[in-house]
Amino acid sequence: MSCAKPLTLQLRLQSRTVTSFHSVVGRVTVTTSTLSVPQPSPLVFSHKLHFQPIFKRASTTIRCSSALTPQLKSTLDKVIASNKIVLFMKGSKDFPQCGFSNTVVQILKSLNVPFETVNVLENDMLRQGLKEYSSWPTFPQLYIEGEFFGGCDITVEAYQKGELQELLEKVMLC
Amino acid sequence: MGVTKEQVESSLKAKLNPSHLEVVDTSGGCGASFVVEIVSEQFEGKRLLERHRMVNAALEEEMKQIHALSIKKTVTPEQWKQQQESNQSNAAA
Repeated sequence: MSCAKPLTLQLRLQSRTVTSFHSVVGRVTVTTSTLSVPQPSPLVFSHKLHFQPIFKRASTTIRCSSALTPQLKSTLDKVIASNKIVLFMKGSKDFPQCGFSNTVVQILKSLNVPFETVNVLENDMLRQGLKEYSSWPTFPQLYIEGEFFGGCDITVEAYQKGELQELLEKVMLC
Repeated sequence: MGVTKEQVESSLKAKLNPSHLEVVDTSGGCGASFVVEIVSEQFEGKRLLERHRMVNAALEEEMKQIHALSIKKTVTPEQWKQQQESNQSNAAA
């Protein structure tokens, strides 16, 4: 457990003979700071505990906090709002670095529509933040008209049914 | 460290109560890539995107270790029946 703030812990003891208390358990030091003897209730000790984390892992702090910062969110809002079609993918339009991303690029190219791509491999913060932003665990992620359309499987299925073509025709007319 | 086909199946069964489920490990043994076909009544009235979100949510824990999840089919029992019948008639023709 990693904890920056000291914890206050109260111990209730039945014995009334103890006058001071000091113990070391592993890396945790317990020091009695106050002692009150409210009669006839049990003894109450107040302790301040200082935890010294034995291992400090960078990944622990990253996982605890969200990768989707307010700044990143507003940047994504803008990117998505200012382009009719945006594909967040691994690699670039001309050099996809993942089979699934490549599939969606090829579909969009075959439909002759202009689209923007953003390479998520260039920035890990962006990659993690986007997963939260879209509530979608994988890439590619396709946005059409400001709305999350889907990943690779959904895009392929919509393309095979002709639904993607229909939607994009509508979008391009506006 | 990967995920087993059985883990993926048991999570999907527990959360989506499928009437038909097929999970194929396409990772070649490392457990990081799966193809899923699932038939569930819970997909009724849901769009494709929502159905995929339901599968992703059911596999939230597993997704931390899965690199690629391909959801090939998310259909209702009724759609599944229709698809089976049309496949059969295609095969007969």
